[in-house]
Amino acid sequence: MESFSYKTFLVLGLLFWSSASAQEAEKDKLQGMIDATLDVIYSETHASLSANEKQVKVREKLKSSYDLDVMIRYAIGKNWRRMNKREQLEVLELVKQLVLKAYVIGLEGKDRPLVTFGELTEIGKARIEIGSTMVLDAKTYYILYRLRQMDSGWQIYDIVAENVSMSSNYRGQIDDHFRKGSATDLIARLKDLLAKDEINEDTKI
Amino acid sequence: MKTQKFKRPLTLASLIGLLTATSLTAQVQDLTGDEEFYTSPVDESSDVYDPFESVNRFTFKFNDFVFSNTVQPLVDVYTAIAPDPVEEGASNFFHNLRYPVRLASNLLQCRFKGAWVETGRFAINSTVGIVGILTPADDYEGFAPIKSEDVGQVFGAWGIGEGPYLVLPFLGPSNLRDLAGFFGDRAVNPLKEPFGVIDDWKWERQLALSGTGYIARSPQIIERYKQLKGSSIDPYSSLRNGYVQYRRGAVAE
Repeated sequence: MESFSYKTFLVLGLLFWSSASAQEAEKDKLQGMIDATLDVIYSETHASLSANEKQVKVREKLKSSYDLDVMIRYAIGKNWRRMNKREQLEVLELVKQLVLKAYVIGLEGKDRPLVTFGELTEIGKARIEIGSTMVLDAKTYYILYRLRQMDSGWQIYDIVAENVSMSSNYRGQIDDHFRKGSATDLIARLKDLLAKDEINEDTKI
Repeated sequence: MKTQKFKRPLTLASLIGLLTATSLTAQVQDLTGDEEFYTSPVDESSDVYDPFESVNRFTFKFNDFVFSNTVQPLVDVYTAIAPDPVEEGASNFFHNLRYPVRLASNLLQCRFKGAWVETGRFAINSTVGIVGILTPADDYEGFAPIKSEDVGQVFGAWGIGEGPYLVLPFLGPSNLRDLAGFFGDRAVNPLKEPFGVIDDWKWERQLALSGTGYIARSPQIIERYKQLKGSSIDPYSSLRNGYVQYRRGAVAE
């Protein structure tokens, strides 16, 4: 009986250790992905690329580490059921493009931010949070990455910058949209936003 | 032998195919099979009491018009004329002037360390930093910048509810508690009425100072606002959600 308990604890300890080290590995993976995307925006080798080309490259880097669809799908929330299959895929793709566009254009023209990763915290069943600070234009921003273990591995489902959750923000907007509008209107709005060259080009409100 | 050579790539291809199919199935499964996760509430509560939404949306459009047609051209001229260090110096100067508000807000929340840091920064930046134009305090140990506190946050820390969400003409997003905080900020600010320390300060000069401060802060605000507008499905909803989350986070910290 004693031997059984000892072995049980050993196995449990090993399982806990391997789970903890797998989570720590996620931190390295996330850091690597962020560095790779910043390289696309700031490195000399990509200096000649247009904003659109950079968005494509950033997307490739992201895709090699994470499935961005998870975050967008989480942001869509229950509204997913209000759309048919074609609309679901189209909205997923358009919101993804919009997020990438905002990311690339938002950083362009500024000095490369200094990103430092902090603690990893378990925030629930199969959910972790990785803290980081980003120093951009001499200002420090606190950014949290939330990840969940999915069938396809750990996936980012939310990014919280200075207490503002991206998923919550988009979910609130999409909820508001569906109070009066349809999926077709949503697709038209997203296409309209994406048609502008600059993210800050005058936009209808 | 030949057959074996042929078989291996075939097996490999089947394996890769199987893995790809498994991975794709997993991805599709991720997007469709985990409904409970995808519909679960986001950790940051973003429920907002917005009973005046139609009026707020109208004011939001009005502010957008004012921003685009009045503030924006002024800021464009300002940023074109003023070199970056001048812009930064002006922004630092006006931030330094608001020290009394930050001090009072820290003290009212019994944040004595915050009050100490703010006081140290004010002393260093006002002297070594030439009336706050420069921020040499950043390099002093223990006096690195901290998050600004205001009276609205004090009310939040005291447990006073947010009240309805409001969009104020010219000032933008707020709520009833932060509106009261706005007047509280003015009350503890020695450069503003009703408790201004400068007796012979005419309204024209006050207006000029406030206006210059507004313009000095505006380039960053305008840039962020335009980015928000350009990446939002519904800019009103996005700003409201962002404001509410940001303020709740600031009160909770």
